Amino acid sequence: MPLLMKARSFLRNFFSTRRVEADLDQEVHAHLEMLTEENLRAGVPPAEAHRAARMELGGVEQVKEQVRQERMGNWFRSVLSDCRYGLRQLRKNPGATAVMIFTLALAIGATTAIFSVIYGVLLRPLPYNDSDRIMAVFEVNSKGGWSHLADPNFDDFRDQNRSFQAIAKHSAYVVSVSGASQPTRTMVARVSPDFLRVFGIQPILGRDFTASDAKKGAGPTVLASYGYWKQNLGSSPDLSQLHLKINNALYAVIGVLPAGFRFPADVDLWLPADLDGENQSRTAHNYSAVGRLRDGVSVEQANRDISAIARRIHDTSSEQGDYLLKDGIVLPLQESITGKARPALLVLLGAVGFLLLVACANVANLLLAQAAARNRELAIRSALGAERGRLVRQFLTEALLLALVGGGLGVLGAYWGVAGLIGLAPQNLPRLDSVSISIPILVFALLLSTAVAATLGLFTAVRATSGDLRRDLGEGGRGQAGSQSSQRVGRAIVAAQIAITLVLVVGAGLLGRSLMKVLEVNPGFRVDKIVTMDVSLPWVEDPKVKASQAVFFSSLVDRLKQIPGVRKVGAISGLPMVEGGLPDGMFQVMTQNEMPKTIDGLAAMFQQKERLGVADFGVATDGYFETLGIPLIRGRIFDERDGPNSPHVAVISESLARDRWPNQDPIGHTIEFGNMDGDLRLLTIVGIVGDIHEYGLDAPPRPTVYVNLFQRPRAAITVTMLSDADTRLVTSAARGIVQDLNPEIPVKFQTFAQVYSASLGSRRFNVILIGFFGIVALLLATAGVFGVMAYSVCRRTREIGVRVALGAGSSDVLRMILGQGLRTIFVGVAIGIAGSLALTRTVASLLFGVTATDPVTFGGVTLLLVGIALLACFIPARRATKVDPMVALRYE
Amino acid sequence: MNSEPTSLLQGTLDLLILKSLIAGELHGLGVSHRIRQITGGTFVVKPGSLFPALHRMEEEGWISSFWGESENNRRAKYYRLSKAGRKQLEVETKRWGRVSWAIGQALEAS
Repeated sequence: MPLLMKARSFLRNFFSTRRVEADLDQEVHAHLEMLTEENLRAGVPPAEAHRAARMELGGVEQVKEQVRQERMGNWFRSVLSDCRYGLRQLRKNPGATAVMIFTLALAIGATTAIFSVIYGVLLRPLPYNDSDRIMAVFEVNSKGGWSHLADPNFDDFRDQNRSFQAIAKHSAYVVSVSGASQPTRTMVARVSPDFLRVFGIQPILGRDFTASDAKKGAGPTVLASYGYWKQNLGSSPDLSQLHLKINNALYAVIGVLPAGFRFPADVDLWLPADLDGENQSRTAHNYSAVGRLRDGVSVEQANRDISAIARRIHDTSSEQGDYLLKDGIVLPLQESITGKARPALLVLLGAVGFLLLVACANVANLLLAQAAARNRELAIRSALGAERGRLVRQFLTEALLLALVGGGLGVLGAYWGVAGLIGLAPQNLPRLDSVSISIPILVFALLLSTAVAATLGLFTAVRATSGDLRRDLGEGGRGQAGSQSSQRVGRAIVAAQIAITLVLVVGAGLLGRSLMKVLEVNPGFRVDKIVTMDVSLPWVEDPKVKASQAVFFSSLVDRLKQIPGVRKVGAISGLPMVEGGLPDGMFQVMTQNEMPKTIDGLAAMFQQKERLGVADFGVATDGYFETLGIPLIRGRIFDERDGPNSPHVAVISESLARDRWPNQDPIGHTIEFGNMDGDLRLLTIVGIVGDIHEYGLDAPPRPTVYVNLFQRPRAAITVTMLSDADTRLVTSAARGIVQDLNPEIPVKFQTFAQVYSASLGSRRFNVILIGFFGIVALLLATAGVFGVMAYSVCRRTREIGVRVALGAGSSDVLRMILGQGLRTIFVGVAIGIAGSLALTRTVASLLFGVTATDPVTFGGVTLLLVGIALLACFIPARRATKVDPMVALRYE
Repeated sequence: MNSEPTSLLQGTLDLLILKSLIAGELHGLGVSHRIRQITGGTFVVKPGSLFPALHRMEEEGWISSFWGESENNRRAKYYRLSKAGRKQLEVETKRWGRVSWAIGQALEAS
């Protein structure tokens, strides 16, 4: 019954507002009249009786408002009326409202877009069952660096650990695959049998690898990704007839994995790892490792476990030296995938956060100016019985309307922004495919808008409703009294804005200067006019087949040289600037006479430190140095003398010559570098070539040994062609030649300029984004300075009029106004510089060639900011000098 | 207009209003007079507290209202106790008994 009453009251209050209000009005007035009558009866004179009754009642409107607040559904109703009123307020100043909404949309949109990248890359869990239990395992070498696992070390980790329910090794690379609908260059991974158990998945068709599939000499088997099965295997439900030719062997397709499973990234086929037997060396780091933790085992426990095993191996192994592991480490797989991208992304988030602050500051200033203009209205509402809470709520409602509209537009903008970001993002940013505007992103945007609204609304409301509002009513439209403190707040906001903008622009400046410094680095090679072609032949051990591959490459190079416009043709095992680069290893200096007869003898020689050297190992042709313009410093590069049966030769890089053979001529020395390709024949150094920045312009050149592709053939190479002809003509001609030589070998083309430009991708990404945020913040801050100064001049018109009337010249007025602006700017700049000094350390890891406190950047940015801010002051200041005292004094 | 004591003594005001209506229907001013009378002038309920309370209690279903004629033939809004209101009066009375007993105990304790 009471519930029914309540519902009825609610509906009545809500739908028959007019009647309820009329009732209330009558009731209160009747009360007033009865009070008056009582007074009259008590003999009070009529005028006095009425006044006393009014005093007793305490104001008709106030009583009515108090009753209204007690009403059922009052809250709901008043929120609606707040919204209506708020909308009317916002419509009253369409210009200011549009500016505020646009500013908020820009800032919320940018923040949402950046957050969606952060969420997709860093926060979103990997798409596997209980993905937080999947770990990556690394060896830690003597220098503290992490490296992949050597086979015997992995076996010890697998057999001795007590932390993992499954642990597997994997290694991915590109091979040519034929036997499906067409030959493809496909990313395959060689994995140990527990691989799928680590990820908690099962084939949706067929079966998983068994232990016997993985044994040495077992019949080759392969698992296919869902996408590969659909596209290249015709979605055939009967796997028994499907075979793929990989590395000259026929692999039986035994299973298809669930859609979406592509680990490691972009892999389409999974093969058993050890069909050719394991590599017995503990220093050949060929495999990555992943494991699934046992229930209840923490990451720390697993770390202690693996670390203990690793140290035991280190202490007992007969192999010693820099390449032997010293320790082991376990970390969540997600961290190992995204760890490198994290610092730059967090810097981006910080930068966009600053932009958001600058934008909010502008909106806050606009709202404050509007609130000041509404002082009188607030005073009247307050006098009519509105409590302070009610007024605060009104401001909150207005801010919420602004922020939600702005946020909604911002999210729309973020849709395009995210597409743009994905297009702009460097190729090496992991997990880019999981970046999108999803539900969590929308929730984030909503929370962000609400937080912005709450901050802005409360701030404005508290400023606007502090003090005794009703006193303002007495002061009428003077608008001078309360304005002093509100202007102080406005200036403080602008100073903060300048400070934050300075930090942001300094950050952008440091990154921009780093990019310029990087571009100034001479890479050591030519970039233009080079077309590259990736070619993979089957990986084989048989020396005869290898020799035939050398012949293949030789005839390929000869035929490519015939293409019209192609001037030089070369080949290299790994292009500079490509992720991964050349492998590195230890060689030893020895002569033919010292050559030990057995492997054990070789191992013993590795103990002699003075014989050892460390270098990257490249397999190249003579044409490679010519196409890339890598200069010959001394000696010669490979030529016709260096056939497969003549003594093997090597060319070394300048820095290796300098560091390994100081004060000596390395030419003529012989080295053994057989652990890189299994060929123990000595290499005679015949030449020294220039250094190149192989790992990117911002990384120092690395000592490198180049061997001759025609003597030491390798299955996968990149052909480089220097050509004046149109790239498309060259690629189609080259494709035809490869087809002609061997139709089962697919190729992939890129220009070297693309490769080179991609290597600068992360840097460019950061500079473009933070530069964009910096410019937007600069514009917003300029608008902020201009707004506050213009407002201040406007409020001081009367004062300026008085000053001019009393004899102040226009230069005095200019100085006064500019001086006021300058003080604000300097406070902002000082705080900004201090803040930058504290904060730019966080970007130190992203800098190159400049320090985090680079005086040029700091000085330049400060000058720029002060200049622009002064300009923004100058316009209102000039307007102030034009004040006509007569008009100004009559102004009010 | 000072609403502070009312909010402190919210239950008390409700109790007094319910009690004042037990003898029959009254309009707002009548309730006010009756409370002054039955409390011996200790409580003077101002309209700013009285009307919100009356409207709230009406919405709670404890009292109902109708328009009638005052002593001086004036149209006035009258309030009368409902069944739920009588029950509420009992509840409030008991509660008040407990409170006053407890406070009395507290003050007598040394």
